[in-house]
Amino acid sequence: MTYTDAEQNLIVLSAICEMNYNEKYASLSALMSYTPDFTACENLLIKRSGIGVYNKVREKFNDPAFRKKIFDGLEKRGVECVTYASDDYPELLKHIPTPPIVLYLKGKRELLRRRSLSIVGSRRTTPNSLAQCKRFANELSEHFLIVSGSAQGADSAALEGAQGFAVSVIAFGFDHLNPQSSPQLQAVAQNGLFISEYYPTVAPQSFLFRYRNRIIAGLSAGTLVVSAGDKSGALITANFAADFGREVFAFPYNIGVSSGEGCNNLIKQGANLCQNPLDILSAFGLDLKPSFIVTLSDDEKEAYAIIKESGEIFLPTLSQNMGVPSYKLIPILSSLEIKGLICRLGGNRYSVI
Amino acid sequence: MFSKILSYALNGLEGVGVEIETDINKGMVSYDLVGLPDAAVKESKERVRSAIKNSAFIFPINKITINLAPADIKKEGSQYDLPIAISLLKASDQLLCDTDGIIFLGELALDGALRPVTGLLPILISARNKGFKRFVIPAANANEASYIEGLEVYALSSLKEVVAYVNGEAQFSPVAHRGYAAVRELKNYDYDLSLVRGQAVARRALEIAVAGGHNILFVGPPGSGKTLLARCIPTIMPDMTFDEALEVTKIHSVAGELSEEGIVSLRPFRTPHHTATTVSLCGGGNNKIRPGEISMAHKGVLFLDELPEYSRHTLESLRQPLEDRKITITRAGGAVTYPADFMLCAGMNPCPCGNYGSAYLQCTCTPAQINKYRTKISGPLMDRIDIQVEVDGVKYDELAGDSSAEASAEVKKRVNTARTIQHERFSGEKEGMINANMGDKQIKKYCSLSPECESVLRAAYENLHLSARARARIIKVARTIADLSFSEEILPEHILEAASYRSYEAGIR
Repeated sequence: MTYTDAEQNLIVLSAICEMNYNEKYASLSALMSYTPDFTACENLLIKRSGIGVYNKVREKFNDPAFRKKIFDGLEKRGVECVTYASDDYPELLKHIPTPPIVLYLKGKRELLRRRSLSIVGSRRTTPNSLAQCKRFANELSEHFLIVSGSAQGADSAALEGAQGFAVSVIAFGFDHLNPQSSPQLQAVAQNGLFISEYYPTVAPQSFLFRYRNRIIAGLSAGTLVVSAGDKSGALITANFAADFGREVFAFPYNIGVSSGEGCNNLIKQGANLCQNPLDILSAFGLDLKPSFIVTLSDDEKEAYAIIKESGEIFLPTLSQNMGVPSYKLIPILSSLEIKGLICRLGGNRYSVI
Repeated sequence: MFSKILSYALNGLEGVGVEIETDINKGMVSYDLVGLPDAAVKESKERVRSAIKNSAFIFPINKITINLAPADIKKEGSQYDLPIAISLLKASDQLLCDTDGIIFLGELALDGALRPVTGLLPILISARNKGFKRFVIPAANANEASYIEGLEVYALSSLKEVVAYVNGEAQFSPVAHRGYAAVRELKNYDYDLSLVRGQAVARRALEIAVAGGHNILFVGPPGSGKTLLARCIPTIMPDMTFDEALEVTKIHSVAGELSEEGIVSLRPFRTPHHTATTVSLCGGGNNKIRPGEISMAHKGVLFLDELPEYSRHTLESLRQPLEDRKITITRAGGAVTYPADFMLCAGMNPCPCGNYGSAYLQCTCTPAQINKYRTKISGPLMDRIDIQVEVDGVKYDELAGDSSAEASAEVKKRVNTARTIQHERFSGEKEGMINANMGDKQIKKYCSLSPECESVLRAAYENLHLSARARARIIKVARTIADLSFSEEILPEHILEAASYRSYEAGIR
């Protein structure tokens, strides 16, 4: 991978660990020349870290050995970079107030050109919302590149729904990412793209996730929040998206479902209530391609109708309503589950998807 | 001044005859016991001395040498007290009769009374197979001995009686043979499925599990009745045959846990606590190798409640016995094989807080915590548990309601029928094979799937997040479900039902 001078400057700048994002950004003074002018951030840096650090940063930036180490490290790990100066820097991301100076990439770089939609949610999400999330990601991935995080729960369901043809934005360096830890991340490693704002050696820290969320929101034309508790990280992403002027969608929830309070609040504040992938597509003037048709037996139809009526049902209750012993219902429900119409909530309760 | 008396040594469930040779010589007064005696045998000296004295005989004051032959086998336990005493009496000419061919077993009290010994039943069976016919045993062991045919067993209560018997001074009648059926009739389980309220799915899963001999895992919130369900398993298992009962009794006899009747006629139900060690579960010990919980549960149920709380090491040790249906315990002193053909039933909470999937309570665990909790049980062990089923948190209405549930006897009838079908199917295979024990070869032979079934199985595999290893287990369970519904062929609905008993795998993503 070869980089232009401007790109090289930005990559080296981003890898200097003594400066934080604000200082790096300040040093670039308006992002025009792409060569840092350290005098611009002099006051900021000296005040925070002292003259010693300030001198070290300047020295480091011009040190050929340091530069070589940076690029060798990237090459060795097979990590590519797209910088603010690059041609294929995502257009939408350019327009946010605090664009990442460099994005480190692992995977299919060409995906960055696609129009994208982020799907975010909390790790603690109800099973039916997870199933919904998967379905939405699956159907929307026809039109959008799905962008999400790397956590379990809603993030993983979104990546799984898109069958790995998705972007997972991580909040730490690639050295600390283990795609083998979950099948969803494995799929992304195979078909999709990992993005990080940080040089591969940067370790995970809780405050970094907040900054990561601005990239998820910034990359996408819209953000769908599938679940969010009262103080969920997904709300941070949604707020970023709203601040950047992007569309925000949220699943509605019953009163009292703690993993849905945040979503309901978003809707209260003006987010789009989203019941159907079509709600999202029509907001962008798109249409859904017809989904495949499932054939159901009479028993399956009856059971499905009853479950649909109440939304969620306890197996013995269903057995009472249908007048069929519950063990005879097990294969019927199993079949409906396999056909993707209902999902298990645990404790022998079922819910429609 | 020399005598030879027969007794018997047990190693595991097998044994050898032991000759007790006593030689009394003139010389320095001494008492030497040789032939690898353990502490209990060495201590017999004091018991024997007092018992002889208090039975109005004389303990010889000379140079006494006692040898337990063969000298290279360790002698353990207290059953040598009586033969040593008899041998001493004979060597000191206080007993002049013939004692050839009689095996003496018994522990002596200081007053000369006979105390019961452990492991008598396996001794009798092993000795019978080696051609021994006459036995003198403690009266308290009489019940144990009464089930074995073709033996002449005298159950006596003191050293005096034993001397009277061998001298022919008094008439004693041998222990009368008792039929197993009569005893079996008297005993009943304390639990019954009619006590279980609700739990339709778990009941059904239980029936399938017992019919096919599948191991089962109950996943459910605390207090949902997992233990009660497990306790009902023996009540719906087929009755034990006499041979099975004898096999179980042998193990319980070695462990010294035999009850008054002298035979185990109800299927054992063992619930080791989760702090159990590997040795307590699998068997072992310093001198005498004791059977562990898995052998005590032979032909019955081993119930492990709170499965993830057991130490990993302990659980992994179950894998091999689950496969081989027996366990060989090797120690420095030798190796012992105990049978361990049990049905494993396990219970666990769905997550650390216990409320995952509950309709009423909020689960406070993160997916990472739940995953960590569930992965405490290794894949290979889960592979051996064919059925995983969720137990509902029961509502108050169901507990209070008067709707009577089906009793164990009804379920047992269906289980018996399904077992008969399996028995016929596997008539050409290894003795006692059931659906759960099928290997790849048998699955291919007896569980051919129609193309329709194959496609259902494929869809289930893809949409329910099943592991590739689940395939064989689903087919085996489907075979049992088909047997329960008298279906020769495995139908798609059987596959679908079997696939739904994989909730543990499919439950969390």
